[in-house]
Amino acid sequence: MKLEPQPSETEIGAPSAAEVATPALSASNLRFTYHDAERPALAGLSFVQAQGEMIGVMGASGAGKSTLAKCLNRIIPEFEGGVFSGTVAVAGRDLTGVRVSDVAADVGMVFQDFEAQLFSTNVAHEVAFAMEQIGIDRATMNARMKPALEEVGLAGFEHRDPTSLSGGEKQRLAIASVLALRPRVIVLDEPTTDLDPEGKAEVFALIRRLREQGLSLIVIEHESDELRRADRVILLKEGSIVFSGPPAELMTKINLLEECGVQPPGLNRALALLGIGGHAASVDEAYAAITRAYPQLASRTHPTIAPAIAEPAVEATLPSPSTATSDAPIAEIENVTFNYPGGPRVLDSINLAIAPGDFLAIVGQNGSGKTTLAKHIVGLLKPVSGAVLLNGRDRKGMRASETAKEAAYVFQNPDHQIFAATVWDEVAFGPRNFSLAASEIERRCIEVLEAVGLADRRSADPFLLSKGERQRLAVASVLALRPRLLILDEPTTGLDYREQRRMMALVKELNASGIAIVIITHTPWLVAEYARRAVLIRKGRKLFDGGVREFFADVDLLKASSFRPPEVTRLAQRFGTIALSPQEFAAWVKERV
Amino acid sequence: MALYRYIERDTFVHRLHPTVKVIALFVMFWSVYWVDNPLALLPLGFLLLFAAFVTGSGGNFYALRWLFIILIISTTLMWMATYQPGPAAIHVPKVAIRRASIIFGLGKGLKLAELLAASVLFISTTKVEEFTVGLAKLRVPYRVGFAISLSFRLAPLFVDSALTIVDAQCLRGYEFGTGGLIERLRRYTTVSIPVFMGALRKANNMAMALEARGFGRLSRPTTYIEYPFLASDLMAFAALFVIGLLYFLIYWTGYGAVVA
Repeated sequence: MKLEPQPSETEIGAPSAAEVATPALSASNLRFTYHDAERPALAGLSFVQAQGEMIGVMGASGAGKSTLAKCLNRIIPEFEGGVFSGTVAVAGRDLTGVRVSDVAADVGMVFQDFEAQLFSTNVAHEVAFAMEQIGIDRATMNARMKPALEEVGLAGFEHRDPTSLSGGEKQRLAIASVLALRPRVIVLDEPTTDLDPEGKAEVFALIRRLREQGLSLIVIEHESDELRRADRVILLKEGSIVFSGPPAELMTKINLLEECGVQPPGLNRALALLGIGGHAASVDEAYAAITRAYPQLASRTHPTIAPAIAEPAVEATLPSPSTATSDAPIAEIENVTFNYPGGPRVLDSINLAIAPGDFLAIVGQNGSGKTTLAKHIVGLLKPVSGAVLLNGRDRKGMRASETAKEAAYVFQNPDHQIFAATVWDEVAFGPRNFSLAASEIERRCIEVLEAVGLADRRSADPFLLSKGERQRLAVASVLALRPRLLILDEPTTGLDYREQRRMMALVKELNASGIAIVIITHTPWLVAEYARRAVLIRKGRKLFDGGVREFFADVDLLKASSFRPPEVTRLAQRFGTIALSPQEFAAWVKERV
Repeated sequence: MALYRYIERDTFVHRLHPTVKVIALFVMFWSVYWVDNPLALLPLGFLLLFAAFVTGSGGNFYALRWLFIILIISTTLMWMATYQPGPAAIHVPKVAIRRASIIFGLGKGLKLAELLAASVLFISTTKVEEFTVGLAKLRVPYRVGFAISLSFRLAPLFVDSALTIVDAQCLRGYEFGTGGLIERLRRYTTVSIPVFMGALRKANNMAMALEARGFGRLSRPTTYIEYPFLASDLMAFAALFVIGLLYFLIYWTGYGAVVA
């Protein structure tokens, strides 16, 4: 495919000599402070992007990543209120004073929220929308339509309703609509945050292809793994650049990454723990580095992992699944089948029992039936056939509110739950619905706010909390009802690494206190490091139910269901074992050398 | 949940020029406005049902069947209770039911149902992009036309969001269905706040995404699809003119009114 830059219709991958000499984009001394903010979101940030360069931008939530992205196409200061200074130039053109809509043809922007950037009733209209807005004639639109859709793998989808696409397809469509404009720079602001592993893989594969074509890209991401292929990585902390250089150099700075709230690559962490250090861009590279350092381990290599682990890794670090507990199950799903009226089958003869103390991860692609299954447990949906028992009682005879004391459900978007004026009132809402005594309500509020680390924010407005804090508040608001089972739907979506760890530490503590946990997640390392039992759902059918270790050992099953284990687990598999975290793998190696 | 209820078909109605479709919607509203008599409303109702059938929009009508039924019954009952001209036709202890109030109530119910049916038919056969073009051709400023058409598309999204919020509050022991009418309405404030906040956030994100795609750069953007005005559009326009005129005449001659 040939993507042509504006204004000349030549290939973007082959800029002229004059264009090469001019940076694709330059940002100079960008400063921005949001209204009522105590500190600047950007504190004098400068960088230059060469033509065809791919820059990755990383940092914790609040580090200034999205603020930077918005400055590049003038959303800041045009849209956001605050104090702005500094300049942005695209191909030498100073954007000061230019309207956002006038920058669209130069700086293409892809947002995290793919639902909010699709406006049309079919794919072709969606791609055409931006071209219509900048006045491109019909013939040119038609000429650009096919290449843009081919590039993102959506050729043939022209008449599809965008709402019927998967998350990954929607995000690729958003990218196609930007590509059709042939901008000089494309900025992707956390484009994979809300996607399942398959959707993420699709989008990153597309980003790699665009990079190979020489497009100038700025990719903002929480996760470090996928930015290893960037030409340069910029690490932000509190609105300032703390590192700018090759990814290979940054990825070995484990402490710096953690200090900045970014998850270090598991492979590099494992190498660091083993005292080898350095950067491994792939499992193969990590394997080579380890076998060079410890040649005796090379002989242990197995081509595949047997489902039953003959040689388990560091057993003491992770207890075995709790499925064998003698306690009566809290929830039992018996042969449940479900479909929406007139729709296809969403759940197909599912059986599942959740015992007290369980820590269960439900995984599967988007649309596989995970959330539908969870909604059956709490009574938001009723099975077409089969039964759901809570504490041995058929859910059919219980009201949704009755369920609250047995099983609580935290929605993926905490904002669906939050409405009160203060954090305290939000938590007290549930207990008040059960007419508990004021002293009991107070006791529970204090207890759960302490547990989720929000005790000092009791008077704060919930809508002014960070996403991580709102997520913890959503947990607190259902915990106040003291459920025996807590179901969390994608509890870490949109959180940075530090917030994810904090959230999961909370969940782990709750589990240790006796609450059974069910998490619905797409994040492999969360399953590996926190859950004890995994359930894999595919097209409404349960394909696996067992220990996490056995789950990650079943290579064929994982491959068939497009679920990729964490890289360190794949590295361990190369050595014929299963390790669920870098620490566990390092311990296994050290025991043997 | 689909954002918009457009049904992709290649029917005569689907192929109509967007401006004609917008005028057709106006004519339906216009015609319904002038008459109260159910008998006078029935032909329009049959016309809408026939159009629903030939355009394959039956699914959208079926999805809203309860709304249609509730709308007709509740409006009829409400008017029967409040509008009581003429002698009683049926005597039930303590209640006198008048023939005119039944007819008037039924007429009002049918009116609302036909307004809804016309809207559903329009949404089922008109793409958002066509709606925008149709309004633009009628000299509505592009930004205003786009905002109107977008709001049609977003309404189901907010309904979906509200239902999720109701679910979330139910799971915290909140009973929406208890208490009197005022109490029930008050209880729904717990839903309105998150819906409103979500709508604000969504609107803000969408506004940024729109501008980032160049929205607002030109007062008259180009269009990807060409919408030629064909002979069939002229014929449809003429037919709509006749329908509109006919219903005005029904009103003018007094046949559209309900006489006690």
